[in-house]
Amino acid sequence: MEGVVAWLIITLIKIVVILAIVLGVGAYLTLVERKVAAHIQRRPGPMVVGWHGLLQPLADGLKLLTKEDLFPRYGNQFLYNLALVMALVPATLVFAVVPFGPEFEVFGIKVKPILTDVNIGLLLVFALGSMAVFAIALAGWASNSKYALIGSMRKAGIVVSYEVVITFAVMGPIILAGTLSTYDIVQKQIEQNLWYVWLQPLAFVVYMFAMLAETGRVPFDVQEAEAELVTGFTVEYGGMKFGLFPLVEWYIEVLSLSAIAVVLFLGGWSPINIPFLGFIDPLFFLGPLSPFVWFILKVSLLFLFVLWLHWTLPRYRIDQITETAWKVMLPITFVNLVLTAVIAPLVWR
Amino acid sequence: MIQWLVFLLFSTLAVVSALGVVFLSNPIYVILALLSVLVSVAGIFFVAGAELVGALQLIIYAVAVTVFYVFVLTAVPWEKALKKDPFYRVEGLFSFPLLLLLYAEMFLVFLVGVSVSPKGQFREFIKQFGNAEVVGGILFSKYFLAFELVSLVLLIGMIGAVIIGRKEAQTYESDTP
Repeated sequence: MEGVVAWLIITLIKIVVILAIVLGVGAYLTLVERKVAAHIQRRPGPMVVGWHGLLQPLADGLKLLTKEDLFPRYGNQFLYNLALVMALVPATLVFAVVPFGPEFEVFGIKVKPILTDVNIGLLLVFALGSMAVFAIALAGWASNSKYALIGSMRKAGIVVSYEVVITFAVMGPIILAGTLSTYDIVQKQIEQNLWYVWLQPLAFVVYMFAMLAETGRVPFDVQEAEAELVTGFTVEYGGMKFGLFPLVEWYIEVLSLSAIAVVLFLGGWSPINIPFLGFIDPLFFLGPLSPFVWFILKVSLLFLFVLWLHWTLPRYRIDQITETAWKVMLPITFVNLVLTAVIAPLVWR
Repeated sequence: MIQWLVFLLFSTLAVVSALGVVFLSNPIYVILALLSVLVSVAGIFFVAGAELVGALQLIIYAVAVTVFYVFVLTAVPWEKALKKDPFYRVEGLFSFPLLLLLYAEMFLVFLVGVSVSPKGQFREFIKQFGNAEVVGGILFSKYFLAFELVSLVLLIGMIGAVIIGRKEAQTYESDTP
């Protein structure tokens, strides 16, 4: 009985910590994005609210919360609100299978910094990731506006095509690791002294492309397309309801997919890797904290990379995007998958 | 104890939303109820410890299949979606015996399946190797022929889709510009 109680308490603490981190960091990433964008365009960005605009997200949140709650005249109120829930919940649920660091001991209890270490964690990531389509389709349909509908159809088309690509792209690392559990994949990389990005560069590039497409980042943000579609499927949403969609798409999903990319290709919480030889840890002085710092560093590096692309590139047309998915990306992942499946068992085990 | 509570939650949800699929009139609501059925069935799989089957249920049924329904429906105009006229009344009547036959077949398969299914023989293997390995092992040894046949059927389906979807060669005189 005591074991069950301890387990319940630990799980509750984990849930609270993960939710706080995800939603809090998600909100503050808006400031990071504005600052990075500003410096890319050689301007200072938000400077007024707080020191270098540090309180800007709070001000933004306050503004969005106090705005009038508008609703389109012939829309469907129930579906309109349901879309919000269906956008937020799967996106945050993905973090249940993200391992933040190695197992550690507190007060004699072993704690894994991952909410549920299911042995099919990766499948769960992609199942939940593609649930985003429902939110988008519903938001577009319930708004009863043609801009919203066109935006949601575009976005749903992109997500459907790239979900296939991303699932095949991660097959390479899965074959190398021989497991679907996110925690074990990182363990395997540490045991084999190898980040899988060294053996799977193609899969990594394709994964990054698919990640940009799924999260609606430039160069794949046709569903926003301010010039032609106003802002796509979020046109009819106002106030905090509007704020929620970019928060989920641009920050929470980018964060979760970057974390999964780090887990699959960049060795999770392990320090810098020299292929087949070992790991070098310049942060050794942090002691037991260093794995967590490495994980956060890698995720933020990927996030900054995404921001850098966002504020540098123009956008593709919708037909170019889906054509790239089916005619370029998918064949590349097939070639990668077949090569890995043929070669890996010969030299690996 | 907790397992039973969660199972009860998911199974009631599944039954209630299945009723919703049958009785709701707005097609979008019907699809959402269907989604809810599929997700709660996946939840039941997770409670039973069949994580792989649960995840596949989520990926294949709850996402890949249902998405296409949503796709079709979002393209249907608003007024048509809310129409309540019962179409195909006569056809429905004619197809009723066939429906009964199908249900009888399902019932039979269920009974036969229960009598021949392994009872706890795989539990040791699952503990030792994990979910995905056991399913793969069984699929590629005991049920290999069935597996290959199913993939053949899928291949035929794919070829059919390509043939239907390809651009038709011009076989008639076209006067319109």
